Amino acid sequence: MHNTVRFVLDDKIVEIDFTKAGLKPSTTVLNYLRSNPLHKGVKEGCAEGDCGACTIVVAEPGNNGDLLYKALDSCLVFLPMIHGKQIITVENLAEKGKAGILLHPVQQMLVETNGTQCGYCTPGIAMSLFALFKNHSSPSREVIEETLTGNLCRCTGYQPLIEAAFEACKGGPDHFSRREKKVMTLLEGINSGRETLEILTESQSYYKPFTLPEALRLRKEKPGAVVISGSTDVALRQTKKRELLPVILDISGIEEMKSFTETDRDLVFGAALTLEQVKEISDKRIPALNKILRVFGSLQIRNIATLGGNIGSASPIGDTLPLLFALKANIKVCSSGSERIIPVEEFITGYRKTDVRDDELITEVIVPKTPDGVILESYKVSKRRNLDISTVSAGFRLKTRDGIIEEIALAFGGMAATPKRALKTEQFLEGKKWTRGTVQDAMKIVHDEFSPLSDARAGAEFRKTVAANLVLKFYSETT
Amino acid sequence: MKPTSRPHESASKHVTGESVFINDMPVSKLLSGKVVFSPHAHARILSIDLSAALEVARVKAILTAADIPGRNQMGSVINDEPCLAEREVTFIGQAVALIAAEDEKAAFAAASLIRIEYEPLEAILDLDTAMVKNTRIDTERVIERGDADAALKNAPYTVRGTLKTGAQEHWYLETQTSLAIPGEGKEMNLFASSQNPAETQAIVAQVLGIRKNEVEVEVKRMGGAFGGKETQGNHVAAWAALLANATRRPVKIHLFRDDDQVMTGKRHRFQSEYEIGFDETGRILAYKVDLNADAGSSADLSLAILSRAMLHAENAYHIPDIRIRGNAWKTNYPSNTAFRGFGGPQGIAVIENAIDRIARFLKKDSAEIRLLNFYREEKNNRTPYGQKVENNPLLMMYEKLLVTSGYTARRNEINAFNRDNEFFKKGLALTPVKFGISFTTAFLNQAGALVNIFTDGTVLVNHGGTEMGQGLHTKIAEIACVELGVSPERVKVNATNTSRVPNTSATAASSGSDLNGMAVKNAIDILKSRIVEVAVEWFTDQFRDDKTHKDNIVFEKDLLTDTANPGRSISFAEIIKIAYVKQVSLSATGFYKTPGISFDKETGKGTPFYYYAFGMAVSEVMIDTLTGMHTLIRTDILHDAGDSLIEGIDVGQIRGGFVQGLGWCTTEEMKWDSAGNQMTHSPDTYKIPTVNDIPEDFRVELLTGVPNPGTIRRSKAVGEPPFMLAFSVWLAIKDAISAVGEHETEPDFGLPATCEVILLSAGKLKKASE
Repeated sequence: MHNTVRFVLDDKIVEIDFTKAGLKPSTTVLNYLRSNPLHKGVKEGCAEGDCGACTIVVAEPGNNGDLLYKALDSCLVFLPMIHGKQIITVENLAEKGKAGILLHPVQQMLVETNGTQCGYCTPGIAMSLFALFKNHSSPSREVIEETLTGNLCRCTGYQPLIEAAFEACKGGPDHFSRREKKVMTLLEGINSGRETLEILTESQSYYKPFTLPEALRLRKEKPGAVVISGSTDVALRQTKKRELLPVILDISGIEEMKSFTETDRDLVFGAALTLEQVKEISDKRIPALNKILRVFGSLQIRNIATLGGNIGSASPIGDTLPLLFALKANIKVCSSGSERIIPVEEFITGYRKTDVRDDELITEVIVPKTPDGVILESYKVSKRRNLDISTVSAGFRLKTRDGIIEEIALAFGGMAATPKRALKTEQFLEGKKWTRGTVQDAMKIVHDEFSPLSDARAGAEFRKTVAANLVLKFYSETT
Repeated sequence: MKPTSRPHESASKHVTGESVFINDMPVSKLLSGKVVFSPHAHARILSIDLSAALEVARVKAILTAADIPGRNQMGSVINDEPCLAEREVTFIGQAVALIAAEDEKAAFAAASLIRIEYEPLEAILDLDTAMVKNTRIDTERVIERGDADAALKNAPYTVRGTLKTGAQEHWYLETQTSLAIPGEGKEMNLFASSQNPAETQAIVAQVLGIRKNEVEVEVKRMGGAFGGKETQGNHVAAWAALLANATRRPVKIHLFRDDDQVMTGKRHRFQSEYEIGFDETGRILAYKVDLNADAGSSADLSLAILSRAMLHAENAYHIPDIRIRGNAWKTNYPSNTAFRGFGGPQGIAVIENAIDRIARFLKKDSAEIRLLNFYREEKNNRTPYGQKVENNPLLMMYEKLLVTSGYTARRNEINAFNRDNEFFKKGLALTPVKFGISFTTAFLNQAGALVNIFTDGTVLVNHGGTEMGQGLHTKIAEIACVELGVSPERVKVNATNTSRVPNTSATAASSGSDLNGMAVKNAIDILKSRIVEVAVEWFTDQFRDDKTHKDNIVFEKDLLTDTANPGRSISFAEIIKIAYVKQVSLSATGFYKTPGISFDKETGKGTPFYYYAFGMAVSEVMIDTLTGMHTLIRTDILHDAGDSLIEGIDVGQIRGGFVQGLGWCTTEEMKWDSAGNQMTHSPDTYKIPTVNDIPEDFRVELLTGVPNPGTIRRSKAVGEPPFMLAFSVWLAIKDAISAVGEHETEPDFGLPATCEVILLSAGKLKKASE
């Protein structure tokens, strides 16, 4: 169906006809909700995904015939991205019965633990806790912290929120569980068609295909389109810089790009897998990737941001990129009729530039399995441990034989216009003994190998020192 | 801590999203207001061309200084702050023009078409330059006792240095917001996010050129404030009122996060020079400190903030010979303003840092040095300004906290850990706070209330304090319930409104419940004496005797009971109905002024505080010397809230204040470029604590058995003091870094202690010890 987006809100199918609504397709879910008098509980705190006041939960059909509940920042999400999903806001949490309003367990515990003071961040926190409630029955402190990383609160000092989370998750099924079937039926009705969603308004065209061939066709037809999936980076051009994005190609609906396969040689990640999915997949398989993803953004961000997006945005920091360098990952790009496989280091061609051509999409990230004896590690140094952009990030690879360095890769983010390997240092280290003395000599080379910037995050000297220190840290942790 | 039985009065509305903030209010015919501000730190305005902007469809008004019908002035204490810049701009973010449009999009379009020609002028962007250029506000202030110079000369040991403490952005979740709705004639009604509705009213009246009785300001709740809406809320209100007045339509201004961060004042940066003299035991003999505050472009509250910094320069320690000098200097930044602690943190940071230096110098544990120098009960109990420190629990708290935190054992464990670990170092610190409670401008210590009882036996309490999340209305409701002996369902606390309770002071200085609680009690006492008379008359009629005496009637459990005559009681609701029929007024105003406080700024002597609130904390950190990142392992807090009014609310203030202080001490770094542009103008680069940054083990306990004489229900103020307990984290970080150089070299840095500061400092110490 053209020009129309449909989703479930307040237990009903809501249909937005963009030809009549006077909205542009890239209207954020936050702005849409706040235009509705019944959903003013959703708050804007920063419009950049850094505070979580706008957190909502989106439910979508999972593989096991149930609904999957995910928290996300509604300020970063465009309306067509929630097509075919249920959105749940703070107003939906309590059960309105004949006996009056019955608070949801997460709400009740926030009240009882004094988890709310000024109340402005509370709706977002309630939603993050609701998603936690739906996904965990006895979460660890670590999981609770991960859940709440993306919700800033300036009043409570967070401690009561942690207590509320522990207590609330002890509850059993809630009224959402009881209504799940009904919601599934409504969603099935929306999701039965796989026809590309085309929304054409005066100022903006928005395309949301559901198959890869269709996406590639559109990519070729609309070479100027901004490609989004999670839009966590692109959305800021609209919300902060107030740019109009005239043509958008939204690839978040393509299932083929969300698969993970493991072959004898490789781990193959679909480019549209969310970073949270990649984090889970890599837990046992690539611990260094799992480690850096734990401190990547927040859960709300990771729930929509994709691995392909992180690579495609080619940020000089990129968080996953230095490690992908060390992993010797390959990027698969496709166009209608052809495909290319490019080593990730060659793929990044400059400051926020990649080798993707106008008619191509990143479809897969292929990570060769790590041979025995190879050690991989990732580091992130930032002013604040979580939900901060790295000042310096690093991905290291090492193989020694009888104490001699056979293979070494030292890739850094935040040290140059692109993620970059310390090639001089690597050259120096190859063939040498992996000893403290060698490492200390290598640190001097690392320190002088880069000319990083001084910016809001830190000065150049700090970056150079940290880059050098991380090699020592790597040494101390591998011996 | 067990949750209290009385949660925040808005808690159930907050968790359902039902709570209404100004930006959520439905208003018909609403216009969107936008502020156009200066991109220059200092410049002359050569011309303003609005012609293209005025052409934009749906734009209803564009105003500049020339369009202000009243006075172009919104300074809160000193009239040095124009509402809209006229000939000159003095900071980046200063309002120059205002736009009202049918929607935000049109307002933005118009803003992009306003042409303002500036001639950039030399800007003062650091304190050193400000001092050289002598931009002092008012005169230098001094608080002095004895002869600090002579005592320093005679002291066996001295250390001296400079300490810089950073700015801090309030980062209230709700950015500055105001909604102005024109009434009949010249009337203007405002819904403001303001800690100081009476001042908002005064400034709106001033810029509109109308009288205060034509302006009404209402504050239902703020989405956080922390001092950031004590004067800054007035500005947005004045701008919205100007636009509403010009268009005679409702206008709302809700600042975008980045604009809010660029335009509004911060916590004052301080640069302080100090010298401290002591003997071999660590006893402090003399202290000299020069406190220099970066006021920003205008005075705002800087002099009061400086004054509080000076009055807290000695914190919890008796120092025989002392000289505290204070100066506030103008610079070309947004005018710095109130922020939790109000100068106290900046004053206390210097002495706490100096004490750690003494400890490192003497190779003693810093906690011992603190203990040695605490104010005592019988002697050594006068502050430099002459006030006696009474009911002082410092020793008791120290002894208790040392035990509950396991301080000594952990100190030994940390020493062992540091010996065994090359790259990770742990640190531990105990810090106290003694915080003076009262506005240091004595006349502000007053409050009003209006309590109405309705014929159904329900009570509506109005008072001058504002709710910003701190739980003031909850405490007031509790006070009203207890004083009237009625159940919580009967009592509602109303939104703050200048028409209901006039001429109030800001909800600030931690004084909200002290002042307003007493005013409410006063009103209730008046009502009770009226109701008691009705009850005596009723019992006399009912029992046909004169045995019931008014002194024996108590208000309890929704009843009035004659305690001298069993069986004689009447329900609260019933007696109210009777009182109404008997033509007794069921509405009373209450008033309170804090007794016995005064301070002479000229001599630096007096009794500026009604009492002191105390707290103490022990924090343990671990730093990674290779990255500079730290982990906060554990914090134990023991805090004095007197007889706590509501424990859950007070503990919430302690935790929240501590974590906010933690941010200021560690990750909340504000940076500007060489032109005065803020580099950290959004949460992308300005990092307040997240859930991951609080102590892994976070223990908060209220000191019990220390009722505070002379306050409402013997309680103590609790809003600000816990902020300063975060120095335990800052100094634990210093302790850990000091371990890198085996405590031989002083880690020389101020705050915040970012990972950059930690790493570079640790690096220096490593080199020094090699």
